[in-house]
Amino acid sequence: MAGYGVAAVAAVLVLYPVFFLFQAALDVGDPQVRPPTAYGFDNFNGIFQYPQILLNTLTVSVAATVMALVFGFVMAWILTRTNVPGRHLFEQLMAVPYYLTPLLGALAWSLLGSPESGFINQIWRALGGTGHLIDINTAYGIAWVMALFEGSVAFVMIAAVMKSMDPALEEASQIIGASRLRTMLRITLPLVIPGVLGAAIFVFAEMLGSFAAALVLGTPNRYYVITTAIYQLVQQYPPKIQVAAAMGVSLFAVMFFMLFLYRRIVMAGSYVTITGKAFRPRVADVGPLRYLLLGVCVLYLLAAVGLPLVTLLYASLQKIAVAFPTAENWTLDNFRVAMTMNAVRSALTNSLLLGFGTATIGVVLMGLLAWLIYRSRLPGSGLIEYVVMFPQAVPRLVFAFGLMWAWVVFPIPIYGTLWLLLLAYLTVFLPLGVRTIAGVMLQIDKSLEECAQMCGAPWAFRVRTVTIPLLMPGLIAAWLLLFIASIRELGASILLMGPHSKVITPSIVESWFGTSSELTAALALIQTLVVAIAMIVLVAVTRRVGAHPVD
Amino acid sequence: MPASLPEPPASSSPSKPHIEVDRLELYYGSVPAVRGVSFNVLPGEQLTLLGPSGCGKTTTLRAIAGLEQPTAGEIRIDGVIVYSAKQRINMRAEKRGLSMVFQSYAIWPHMSVFENVAYGLRVRRTGAAEIAERVHQALDMVQMRSFASRRAAQLSGGQQQRVALARAFVFSPSVLLFDEPLSNLDAKLRADMRIELRELQHRLGITSVYVTHDLEEALAMSDRIVVMRDGLIEQTGTPDEIYRLPNSAFVADFVGSANLIRGRHRADLDTDGLTALETPAGHIVYGMAYGRLVGAELVVSVRTVHLRISAEPPAAVQNVWRVPVQQTVFQGDFTQVHLGWGPQHLIARCAAMEPLAAGREVYITVEPRHVVVLGA
Amino acid sequence: MSDSKKSNVTRRTLLKAGAAMPLLGIAAPSVLAQAPLKSPTKIHDFMTNADVEKAEQEGQLVFYCHENEPGTAGIMEGFRKDFPKINTSYVRAQTGALYTKILSERSAGRFDVDVIQLSDLAPAVDFQKKGGYEHYVSPETPAYKADHLSSPAGSFFWTGVDPAGIAYNSPKVSAADAPKTWQDILNPRWKGSISCKISASGLQFVQWYTLRKLYGAGFWKEFAKQNPHAFDSRVQLFDRLAKGDDTITAIGEYPAYILFKDKGAKVEFVAPADGLPATPLIVGAVSKAPHPEAAKLFVDWAMSKRGQAWYQTNPNLYYGSVRTDAPPMPTGVRLGDLKLLYPADWDDYAANRDVFAKEWNGMLGL
Repeated sequence: MAGYGVAAVAAVLVLYPVFFLFQAALDVGDPQVRPPTAYGFDNFNGIFQYPQILLNTLTVSVAATVMALVFGFVMAWILTRTNVPGRHLFEQLMAVPYYLTPLLGALAWSLLGSPESGFINQIWRALGGTGHLIDINTAYGIAWVMALFEGSVAFVMIAAVMKSMDPALEEASQIIGASRLRTMLRITLPLVIPGVLGAAIFVFAEMLGSFAAALVLGTPNRYYVITTAIYQLVQQYPPKIQVAAAMGVSLFAVMFFMLFLYRRIVMAGSYVTITGKAFRPRVADVGPLRYLLLGVCVLYLLAAVGLPLVTLLYASLQKIAVAFPTAENWTLDNFRVAMTMNAVRSALTNSLLLGFGTATIGVVLMGLLAWLIYRSRLPGSGLIEYVVMFPQAVPRLVFAFGLMWAWVVFPIPIYGTLWLLLLAYLTVFLPLGVRTIAGVMLQIDKSLEECAQMCGAPWAFRVRTVTIPLLMPGLIAAWLLLFIASIRELGASILLMGPHSKVITPSIVESWFGTSSELTAALALIQTLVVAIAMIVLVAVTRRVGAHPVD
Repeated sequence: MPASLPEPPASSSPSKPHIEVDRLELYYGSVPAVRGVSFNVLPGEQLTLLGPSGCGKTTTLRAIAGLEQPTAGEIRIDGVIVYSAKQRINMRAEKRGLSMVFQSYAIWPHMSVFENVAYGLRVRRTGAAEIAERVHQALDMVQMRSFASRRAAQLSGGQQQRVALARAFVFSPSVLLFDEPLSNLDAKLRADMRIELRELQHRLGITSVYVTHDLEEALAMSDRIVVMRDGLIEQTGTPDEIYRLPNSAFVADFVGSANLIRGRHRADLDTDGLTALETPAGHIVYGMAYGRLVGAELVVSVRTVHLRISAEPPAAVQNVWRVPVQQTVFQGDFTQVHLGWGPQHLIARCAAMEPLAAGREVYITVEPRHVVVLGA
Repeated sequence: MSDSKKSNVTRRTLLKAGAAMPLLGIAAPSVLAQAPLKSPTKIHDFMTNADVEKAEQEGQLVFYCHENEPGTAGIMEGFRKDFPKINTSYVRAQTGALYTKILSERSAGRFDVDVIQLSDLAPAVDFQKKGGYEHYVSPETPAYKADHLSSPAGSFFWTGVDPAGIAYNSPKVSAADAPKTWQDILNPRWKGSISCKISASGLQFVQWYTLRKLYGAGFWKEFAKQNPHAFDSRVQLFDRLAKGDDTITAIGEYPAYILFKDKGAKVEFVAPADGLPATPLIVGAVSKAPHPEAAKLFVDWAMSKRGQAWYQTNPNLYYGSVRTDAPPMPTGVRLGDLKLLYPADWDDYAANRDVFAKEWNGMLGL
């Protein structure tokens, strides 16, 4: 049946590269010779030569998780449980740091927080301080950036938990006479903790696989975490591919275990948060305190969005970026050079094209998969779910590693082309797309489709007239998500780019390591602007489409 | 067949069954939902599957619809096999030519009322003019004509229900399946809709299979009832038969409230076609067997409404006892009186009356024809 | 297109024969590698043996280069200016990584590259041995000394030289503390605030090798104690230097110094008396290239006065030219004026690649 065909496609996409990853990790023969001549576990011993890296990874991930949870909890509390003005707007804005990409955040914060040249430190010294106020190139600096930009998922999860709490539980406590504080400590907190725990595990797993912040902020100081170490080992000369693969497999094992734990503890078996009855949470009136809380929200968004953008703009307009530039230091050269750089022009076009392709094909593919897993009654759908969610456990970089080997030897010459990147994106975004569409799909009452059946409608007619119109908001959301995800993608693209298939985010990284930071800032801003424009256009178009109901 | 039934659908002869369910079984993995169910539905009749939740009635209905895959058995519609485990036939739901009203109404929120109702006709590629005519006709029949251009999501529960109904019969299906369509409505609306549905079904003369757990509904609307429990059929019959002559304790108590009395058969006291039973407390009860097998031990059922209470000794000779009142419970339209009867406890339902003081002695009696011997 | 395909086949089989010859120690006569024999044509102001028309028909040039992004883009810009009908595309990676990439591609049967530029002689020689270079003798060859060509000529040539001294951030370093000799980079004063390049860099390898020869193996072990920061590109090094993120760099490339001085950065350059380690920048056409005529044309262009002028004056490049008739660099300095340190024994140098990589990577923590 067509269903199995789609499942087979997904399985190949996901498992084929993983096989090669494992093969590389177990290859103890001559690295130049393919296929491997000898197999063994020696490469895994190689990991223990670098205990510092493991320690670094743990430090950074734990710190970032804690920070992300704190931000997430505080913001979730403020935005779902208090009557701070502009709640709904802020909730939407919380997603912006994610769209801005952690790379941008890392670049900006590097400009802000480098011990010598960082703007904040320059201002500090100008105000009379000595040395530096902050050093962003440390474990906590990296964790800070990671939490700010990759931590919004913690907010989303905790907010969802808070929203799904039955207010009657708290009201019961208050009617008995407990104070608000006591209610919060004895009733609310314990109810929320399982959800927060789940978020913690999930966020920790994500932080383990984080790449951009550590790359920009850690590498100059030779502070490696496992993902940047893998990258370095692959890029350096001579490359230590096998050890890198072994590291990748180890990281994958840990992440897989964490996500397995998460699934067991929180979701009781399914990767989709089945939204049950949504309660309206009690919003507490905090009186004049809400202006303080408003200030907190604004501050957070400033740190995560406003400040980085302004910093990049500030830097991009100077010849040599300093906090207090002289008149001669201002220039538009950086933008001029950036616009003429071949790599930029083609990289941007490629990224937009790829974004379009990934989103469109992705929505169809993932829609079918979501339907297959959660709606059809085909045997083996549980297994397919596992396969589809697999890439979540593998850091993008590691996955790209496998992809690199897998597709080099593939008979069809897609290596080094945009097609390879398309395949890579479709694969690594499977969990994201399927989860989003499934979430909407599950909210649609099955009987709506069954009724169409009973009216005599064959499958295609039903899907066209009932399923898709009902799914449309979800499909559009998924499309937009996929589009943005593919444009901001770094970990996989950085290994798979070829001369004719440059994409924008890795190009910005290349620029950071190969040209001046001012030029890079200009590049990053151009990228952000183009993406923002694309997003606005898309949202406007889809809103128009969505407004016309299907007749 | 009662003479009031309309013309049966042209495709089937009066006595040949329209739907045949033959030894149907449905297991979810190892969990049984339907354990062997057989019945027929005659053309134009409304057959109701009645039973408590979990008895398999909805599963059976959905199996007939084609929305569930049975494990064993056969289903035939108009003589055509739509499901057969042996022959590995399982016709898709959309091909079976049936129609269904869902418990949740399943009104499509993104379409107007008109479009909802027109759907089945559009599937059948009916012309636009004909669609308009038939849809309006159908909406008329359910008194929803003025809502035709409304967005379906703006309707109340009752209104949605009517639209669902119109949608279900607009394309003239030969069978209508109902999956507890009234259970989401409030009591008053339910009572009204019951009557409307019955009238509609008669007017259209469509064969209907109806699923409900509500006894009153089943009794009011059905031509025949199939009482189910735990995946099996307890009893099949007309509402009257089921009510008056339950053949098991379960049916007796489920279909109306009943007192169950156990005892020894006193064949020596049998007289005039009556069966005598002696309770452990020594009471002699006269009842009727109605053709059922009478064993050494038997159980009889006495409907609470058939127990008459009087202050003075009644005229009857058999089945008269003097008993104390334990409790009276006022229920509005009727009063429930709890009486002590030896070690056992009897319940009588009477039309509303003055409460009887607890402990007061009264006479109770019941006609032997209302004492029904239950099947083994 | 089919024409060149046909001749491709012929050339490939011939090349196989020709490439095998150096292994046997026989110089491949140029007549074997070129069929049919053509006389050089003049295009713009230089001579080429390539079929310019065919090259333009091929319409593409794929360039693998070690230079940073603006530099590589700059080279391509120069070529495109003269041959606008040929689209250019490039891949840049530091020499070590670049070389690995092209080898692994070729071992997987992918031949996507036309011309390769490396910043290290060792991999170039290795590539020549493996038959990676197309054997092509440019008519511009006579303008170069034999030292600055492959041996035998026809595989690659030195398109430029990149010398490195010491550079420092002037506001942070007083004249008294300023470094003057190579030994000065070992001063503990610079610990944690000194930079160098990564092990994939050709120039870094040269510096390691030459200074090791001069000052012994202990020199670099001492240097390791400085906890240097390593980077891929000279622009990055000078970027940090200019902003004060690093106080001093142990490998201040002259071209970068010129570039940043132009931008107004407060950096100073020191040319130690013992000499400036310099690496040749090697360009060669690749065998089994998808656009062979374009490749040959590029080589000729790069070797020509025109191309060399571009390489010398483009701000992202500022290479020193080794062409015998080259003008001075934009700063007025000639390559000959500088005391350049090359490895004396290129074979010993090549043999030490792995030793260097291991030691250097170990110093940097990987």
